[in-house]
Amino acid sequence: MQVNDSNRRRRSIGRLGLVCLVLQLALAPNIGIADGRINFALVFSAYVALTIGGRTGVLCGFLGGLAFDLCTTGPFGLMTLLLTVGSFVLGMEDRNRIAEDLSGSITIFLIVSFIVTLLYHLAMFLVGQASSFYDVFVLRTLPTFALTAIAFLPFAFVGSHGSGAPLSSLKGGAGSVRRRSGKFDLGNL
Amino acid sequence: MPLGGNGLKGAPGVRRNEPNSGMRLMIVLTAVSIVLFTFGARESSGGGVFTTIRGAVSVVTTPVRYLGAAVTAPFQGLGNIFSNLTANQETLSDLKAENEKLQAENSKLQESQKTAERLENLLALQSTYNLTSVAARVISGPTDSWSQSVTIDKGTTSGLAVGMAVTDSNGVLGQITECGATSATVRLITDENSGVSCMIQSTRAQGMLKGSADGSLSLTLVSVDQTVKVGDNVVTSGLGGVYPKGLPVGKVTSVSKTNGGLYYDIDVQPLASTSTTEEVLVITSLSEDQKASSEDISSADAQDTTTSASSASSDSSADSSASIGQ
Repeated sequence: MQVNDSNRRRRSIGRLGLVCLVLQLALAPNIGIADGRINFALVFSAYVALTIGGRTGVLCGFLGGLAFDLCTTGPFGLMTLLLTVGSFVLGMEDRNRIAEDLSGSITIFLIVSFIVTLLYHLAMFLVGQASSFYDVFVLRTLPTFALTAIAFLPFAFVGSHGSGAPLSSLKGGAGSVRRRSGKFDLGNL
Repeated sequence: MPLGGNGLKGAPGVRRNEPNSGMRLMIVLTAVSIVLFTFGARESSGGGVFTTIRGAVSVVTTPVRYLGAAVTAPFQGLGNIFSNLTANQETLSDLKAENEKLQAENSKLQESQKTAERLENLLALQSTYNLTSVAARVISGPTDSWSQSVTIDKGTTSGLAVGMAVTDSNGVLGQITECGATSATVRLITDENSGVSCMIQSTRAQGMLKGSADGSLSLTLVSVDQTVKVGDNVVTSGLGGVYPKGLPVGKVTSVSKTNGGLYYDIDVQPLASTSTTEEVLVITSLSEDQKASSEDISSADAQDTTTSASSASSDSSADSSASIGQ
């Protein structure tokens, strides 16, 4: 029997969010390919959506997008909108997909991440922030997608294997006791 | 068995019973996002709520940004390499255009500097030799393959006349052979038909500098009883009254004499850049001290006399030898 600890979960999400925010502010501006930069808001939102999903995932997507919009110079609310919808899509199955199906999680993350990145840059293109679709796609969308995907991998790896995963206490959620060895997995009970 | 409503999250088997648990929230937050986006887009660039909020966030997060910059500073070089490799086309085009512009300006400045240096050298020459001269610019090279000449942009309206000597900053260049109102043709000293009265600077051995079809110079009529060495400076002698006395002409590159010859065969390397000169001085008049003095003329005559005597002696010796032989 496991008692749900929503405060603990909030703290874990908060810590993860803080880490991603610091990385977004400190690391992302300094690491880039072409005009691409890592989107740690997307990483955070996707991770929460894939590990918890549901309403929490959607809320984290909204907050992550809001933080991203506040920290960047793009249209306000655009990434908020995209991450809200993206988090909903990623968290639709409402289960800890990273722990159960890492490759599947990464695959769906890559798909959603690419769509979100593409839509964001397309929107920027449409509002006149860029003059060439080639630049938008090749020099902004693809590098941003690639860097974000790379940045997501450590989170996904730790989330699926490490005992110190950011949201490890939430894996399987309340009421599920999941052994890392895989021998006992009560989460599906 | 999970306890509590929130505990259902993370229990997949249970959650499937609440398929729309995030749908309503998503719809609401999406609407909020659209509102934010709309108001954000309508906000004027001069400022507004969102701009203020962003400014505040920027201020608050500045230390973190500084921290990140400090931490990643050692790796910025690597990042720059990638940035350079992947710079977008517009940036590359701009940089190329700017580079071309700067290169053009640089070439222009270098050209100006070289021109200034040449003119300074000309002025120095003018000052050193106290020349009465007019500066001119070479506007074209030889017009045919049979003569070695250049055309300058000054003519009779500038006081030039046929026969005037022309020099560049290094030394004698030639002599005006044709003179129009605004241009003049200068026969270079390397022309086959050119002849300049010169002497070896160190020994004062007199001779005649002649050009040739291949552009080389030879100093002729220098008697073998004079001393001439490779590296000696050749200067104008002032005889003839065209060139001022003592102007540098060239350097001796080889000296030879044939058995029984009366004169050296002397090759001279001209100092003036006959093919690349751009600015020249036309010597319009000579002062008395620039002309050959009576002593110089006497000395030249004496050398000639000595040579003639040697020649006569050699001839008689040869004749005697021939007689003996016969």
